[in-house]
Amino acid sequence: MGYINVPFRNSVYSAVLSAVMEDKMVSIDNVSFTYGRGECDNGLKEIGLEIKKGETVLICGESGCGKTTLIRLINGLIPHYYEGKLSGGVLLKGKQIHKLPIYETAKYVGSVFQNPRSQFFNVDSTSELAFGAENRGLEYNEIEKRVIQTAEMFKMEELLDRSLFQLSGGEKQKIACASVSVCEPDIMVLDEPSSNLDITATEELKKMIGIWKAQGKTIIISEHRLYYLKDLIDKVVYMQEGEVSKTFSGDEFRDLSVSAMQSMGLRPLELEDVVKSKMISLPTGGAELKLVDFEYSHKKGGRDALKFSDELVLPKGNSIVIIGHNGAGKSTFATCLCGLIKKFKGVVKDDKVLKNKERLSKFYMVMQDVNHQLFAESVLEEVLLSMDKPDNKTAEEILSSLDLLEFKELHPMSLSGGQKQRVAIASALASGREYIILDEPTSGLDMKHMKEVAQNIRSLINTGKTVFIITHDIELIIECGTRVVHLEKGEVRDSYVLDQKGIKKVWKFFQDSREDNVY
Amino acid sequence: MQLFQGGSVHTFLKIDPRTKLFLLLVVNIIMINGSTAGAAAIYKPILACLPFVLLLTGKRIVAAFVYGIIFAMAWVTDQYLSGYLSGGINIVIALVSGLSTRWLPCGMMGYYLMATTRVSEFVAGMEKMHVSQKIVIPLSVMFRFFPTVSEESGAINNAMRMRGIRVGGGKGGVIAIFEYRIIPLIMSTVKIGDELSAAALTRGLGGEVKRTNFCSIGFGMWDILMFLLGTVFIALYFLL
Repeated sequence: MGYINVPFRNSVYSAVLSAVMEDKMVSIDNVSFTYGRGECDNGLKEIGLEIKKGETVLICGESGCGKTTLIRLINGLIPHYYEGKLSGGVLLKGKQIHKLPIYETAKYVGSVFQNPRSQFFNVDSTSELAFGAENRGLEYNEIEKRVIQTAEMFKMEELLDRSLFQLSGGEKQKIACASVSVCEPDIMVLDEPSSNLDITATEELKKMIGIWKAQGKTIIISEHRLYYLKDLIDKVVYMQEGEVSKTFSGDEFRDLSVSAMQSMGLRPLELEDVVKSKMISLPTGGAELKLVDFEYSHKKGGRDALKFSDELVLPKGNSIVIIGHNGAGKSTFATCLCGLIKKFKGVVKDDKVLKNKERLSKFYMVMQDVNHQLFAESVLEEVLLSMDKPDNKTAEEILSSLDLLEFKELHPMSLSGGQKQRVAIASALASGREYIILDEPTSGLDMKHMKEVAQNIRSLINTGKTVFIITHDIELIIECGTRVVHLEKGEVRDSYVLDQKGIKKVWKFFQDSREDNVY
Repeated sequence: MQLFQGGSVHTFLKIDPRTKLFLLLVVNIIMINGSTAGAAAIYKPILACLPFVLLLTGKRIVAAFVYGIIFAMAWVTDQYLSGYLSGGINIVIALVSGLSTRWLPCGMMGYYLMATTRVSEFVAGMEKMHVSQKIVIPLSVMFRFFPTVSEESGAINNAMRMRGIRVGGGKGGVIAIFEYRIIPLIMSTVKIGDELSAAALTRGLGGEVKRTNFCSIGFGMWDILMFLLGTVFIALYFLL
């Protein structure tokens, strides 16, 4: 089992050691850090860590445990971009990182971030691949050689010369990894790289990391979703409240029991364990919602088009999970369903036919990026804004049911991601709408927050709401789904109850998605 | 919405972005001056054909013909008809045709520049013209941000419609609604900007070595021809 790993060596000794022993890639020696802005970002306390050349290291722990801060320490963003109080030393191949300018550190460390939307600098993919090499002033021919080699290595020639704004999240993340690879750094750091990816894209990410590992790169990954890294990791660092709580070798970590993982607040390493733990009771009987002629496409022949004309009957009072590959039409389905698309001609029949405009006041969508839908100046106001007749007492009841009452005076934007999402759910509840759609509600959440979302969804069903969930998160599906609609290429491939047999089907879909890596 | 192009552009005539800028400048200098006396009556309509031809080579056929027809009508009206009309209608027609003959060719040259040039080519062009990095980098960030802002704005608009927040919807006045729209937009673009800066720094932006540019632009035969053509027009304009 694990052991406490806080080596207290002085930095001089450490520096000499690293200089002598070349296989020490990164050594972090008794580092403490507090952010200067005094925001909710979490600092680090007395971190000691050594990473050898060629190791693949996983950094895990609950949200706010300091994973991201540790990553920022290694790629030099701390202390050069995120300022604060730093003590102790970080040595990168024997050099003190905080004394190097970031562009020097960039030669040794390549970084991949969480959000595929905000990490590219150019508009087209080829320029993006060349960007790091351009910054280092490499010759044209050399850049060309490297770009072509990298594209071949990651089998992504078809992604060259494309507008990045036309690519899917998974494709963007592939570009992000490849553009780091073009610079050929020895160390790769990845900060929650799978957060916004679906199953297939996560599998692609795994392959790319595998290629780096085979090249002998040192890889450091901070992550919540662990299953895809199972076979790659050599060492695991478990963090709690800014400290390294335990370190494991890869085998020790793979041997941990399901309950040990759970008590550490970690998502499972083996998803089959999750599938066995289904407990939710299925709602029975009740009214139905009928969907006919769901045909819509943003652009002619564009991706994510929707084209099913047969009637789809769904029971109300369920949590209906929408699954399908990237581009299957899931998000188009959601926007059409809640009436946001004026040109959409499909029929939604409740007791009577609901027109687009009527659906806008019966459906409520909690968006993937909740930042887009929080407008008010305080949490309470946000909830009041959703009510037809604003009423403080009811609003506070809703807030308290979601553990948000203590934040009611705060600005929604000052909250953490999970809290913001709960505010969005609170305003959905306050709106009194019958149908609630959640778009990828658990992307990038740790185990604890994922379970909270699942709990919220279960209580929504208990109050008689019908919930639609678009998700790739099998753990969430098992936790709170009661019904599945499987879309593929804009058509309904399947629609079934999530009983034992249904779970087997979902599991099969999931495994197929992992194997079939075509977008 | 996007200024310049993201992916690859198909044109029959590959012209360097610097040449396009030069032609844009030439068309602007010559056309905006409204005088049609003397030789101008001959070389101006000829110059106005340039955006038409270039748009055709850029496969913007519809835009080219719409422009061609409107310009021809405006030119004929401006030159030959405005004398025969009188009163209020005359003023309106003279105004419309006068403005069209002056501004439309400039606008279409600008459109041609944007429609057939990739962002990376434009940036490479500026770097080759030795424009300072202090201008080039903020400009490239700006180009990258235009589509982002419109994506974000679309999402916020959807969220507002879903929550029933609209002018006259009983939830806040016009100012409040402006605030609801602007604040999330600023918040999310600031966040993206912050993450983007961090990502760009970790990829070595801002180092001491001179950046190279991985984008093949350069002058060819057509560029030389276009430069000659532009120079001839400028000479005609200033000498005649």
